[in-house]
Amino acid sequence: MEILIQIFVTGLTLGSMYALAAVGLSLIYGTLGMFNMAHGMFMTLGAYAVFSLASVFGVPLILGVLAAMVAGAVIGMLTHLLIVRFMLNSPDFETNILVATAGLGILLEDLILKIYGGYPYPQPVKIEGTFSVGEVNVTYQALVILLIAIVCIGSVAWLLLKTRFGRAIRATAMNRDAARLMGVRTNTVYLQVMALAGALAGVAGLMISTLATLSPQMGGDPLLKAFVICVVAGLGNVWGAGICAIGLALIESAIGFYFGVRFGFPTMLMLVIIVLIWRPLGLFGKEKVVRL
Amino acid sequence: MTTLQRHLGIGVLIIAGFAALPMVITERYLLGEIIIFFIWAMVAMNWNVLMGHAGVFSLAQMLFVACGAYGVAMGVTFGGLPVWAAIPIAAMASAALALVIGMACLRLTGAYVALLTYAIAEMIHVLIITDTECFTLVRNNCQQLFGGSTGFSRFDDFGFRPLLKGNWVLGNYYAVLVAFAITVLGVVIIIHGRLGLAFRAIRDNVGYASSRGIDRKKYQVAAFAVTAFLTGLAGGVYAAHFRFAGPSLFEFSTLMFVLSMIVVGGLGSTWGPLIGTGLMMIVVEFSKEMGDARNLVLGLALILFVVLLPKGLSHAGTMLASRFLGRSRTSAANRK
Repeated sequence: MEILIQIFVTGLTLGSMYALAAVGLSLIYGTLGMFNMAHGMFMTLGAYAVFSLASVFGVPLILGVLAAMVAGAVIGMLTHLLIVRFMLNSPDFETNILVATAGLGILLEDLILKIYGGYPYPQPVKIEGTFSVGEVNVTYQALVILLIAIVCIGSVAWLLLKTRFGRAIRATAMNRDAARLMGVRTNTVYLQVMALAGALAGVAGLMISTLATLSPQMGGDPLLKAFVICVVAGLGNVWGAGICAIGLALIESAIGFYFGVRFGFPTMLMLVIIVLIWRPLGLFGKEKVVRL
Repeated sequence: MTTLQRHLGIGVLIIAGFAALPMVITERYLLGEIIIFFIWAMVAMNWNVLMGHAGVFSLAQMLFVACGAYGVAMGVTFGGLPVWAAIPIAAMASAALALVIGMACLRLTGAYVALLTYAIAEMIHVLIITDTECFTLVRNNCQQLFGGSTGFSRFDDFGFRPLLKGNWVLGNYYAVLVAFAITVLGVVIIIHGRLGLAFRAIRDNVGYASSRGIDRKKYQVAAFAVTAFLTGLAGGVYAAHFRFAGPSLFEFSTLMFVLSMIVVGGLGSTWGPLIGTGLMMIVVEFSKEMGDARNLVLGLALILFVVLLPKGLSHAGTMLASRFLGRSRTSAANRK
C-alpha cells in the first residue's frame, strides 16, 4: 500500500510538471503547426528568472510563479516576433522552423551558461517540510506543484473554452483560413498562443527546478517527455496532452520503482511506438479528411 | 544531355577534385577536416533524399549512422572481422534496421513519422548508455555488449598506419573518399532516375501518385532502406577512421547539426546538402576560433539562414544565377 501511495504521489508530481510543458507544446502545434524545439529553454529561462529575482529580493512563492510566467511569456512573444512571424508562410515551414527553434535553443542555452555558469544552483523559491499520508512522507513542495499545475491548466481551459480570446485560438487551430475570413486576427492569435505556452513553460521550469537544481540543460529532458506525451495524445490535442501527461508519468514512476529507473523512459518510448503503430494519430487524435 | 548525365558529370568532377586535393593540401589537420566533411556530407545527402525527395520526415538518421559505426566496432571487437569486411556488413545491417523501422512508420505521415523515428532512436540510445552489464573483458576493462556509456574505442582501423607510416591520413582520406564517391553517384542516380521521380510524386501528392500505379508503401520502404544503407556506410567509415563508436552519435545536437546542413544548403535539391555541409563546417570552424562564443555563433547562424533563405543556399544560388544570366541575355538582345 505504501508503495502504491509513493508511486502515486511521485507520478502525480511528475505528471503535473509534464502536463504544464506538454499542454503549451500542444497548443503551439495545434495553432501554428510547429514543433517548438526551444520550449525546453523557455522552461529553463522561467526557472532562472525566478532564481535571479529571488536572490536579489527574496520573493515569496506566488510572486515567483508570476515572475516565471512573465519571463516565459516574454520569451515566447519575442520568439514569435523575431523568428516565427517571418517564417509562417515560407515553404517547408515544418522542417525550417524545427531548425530555427533548435538554433534558438542552442543560443539561449549558451547565453544562460555565459551569464550564470554551469553550477547547479538550488532553487530558492520553494517550500520545505513534509507531511505523512499513511506511512509515506510527502513533501509540501509536491503538493504545491500539483496545486499550481491544476490552477494553471484550469485557467488555460477556462481561457480556451469560455472567452472570446480562447474561441479565436480554437478557431484558428481548426482552420486558419476560415478563421481569418471570420475576422480573426490570426497574427495576434499566434502571438497570444506563444505567450500563453511560454507562460506555462516558465511555470513548469520553476517547478522542475524546485525538485532538482538549476542548470542550463535542465529543459532538455522534460522537453523530450513533453514531445512524447503530445504524440501519444495526438498532436495539437490539448486535453489529451494533459491526460496523457499524468498517465505516462504514473507508468514511468511505477516502472521506475519496480524495474529500476533505467527502464522508465525507454518503456515510455516503447509505449509510444506501440501506440503510434496501433493508432497512427495518437490516442485522442481524429482522422482528418484530406482532399486531393 | 539528360539531367541525370549532367548531374553525374558534376558528381564525377567533384569527386575528381577531392581526389586531387591532397596534392595541394598536405596538412594533416585539414585532411582530417575534409574526411569529416565527407562523412557528414554522406549523411546529409542521404537524409536529403529521404526527407527532401521522398517526403519522409525521419529523425532516425543518426541511428543509422550509429548502426553502421557500432556494426563495424562490434564486428571488429567481438567478431574479429577485418574492417574492410565489417563496413559492408554494418551497412547491410543498417539497411535491415531501416526496413523494419520503415515498415513501422508506414502507417504514419508527416510529423508523426518524425517523432516515431526519434522515439525509436532515443530508446536505443537510453538503453545503450544505461547498460552496465559486462559482456566481455577487453584489456581487463569491462566491455558491455553495446559499449555502454563510453562506447567502443581503439579497435583496428583501415590498417594504413603500418603501411603508409606518417602518411596514414592519406590512406584514410582515399578510403573515405571511395565511400563518399559511392554515395554521391548513388544519390544522383536515385534523385534523377525513375526512383527519384516516384519519390517526388508521392511527396507531392500521394493520391495522384497511387492512381498512377506508384505504391507508397513499396517506394517509401525502398527510400528508407537505400538511404539507410548509404548512411550506414558513412557510419562504418566514421568508426574505421576514428576507431571509435559511441553514444555521442545519438546526441540530439548532432542530429540538429546535420539537419541544419540540409536546410541551409537547400532541402529537396541535389547539391544543396553538400554546400550546406561545407558551409556549416566553416561556420563551426570559425566559431571555434571565437572560443567561448561557439554555440552562440552556431545558433545565430542557424536562425539567420533559415529566416533569410528558407529554400537554402542552392536555391538562392540558382535564383541569382538565373537573374544574372537572364539580365545578360536581355542586354545582349538589346545590343542586337
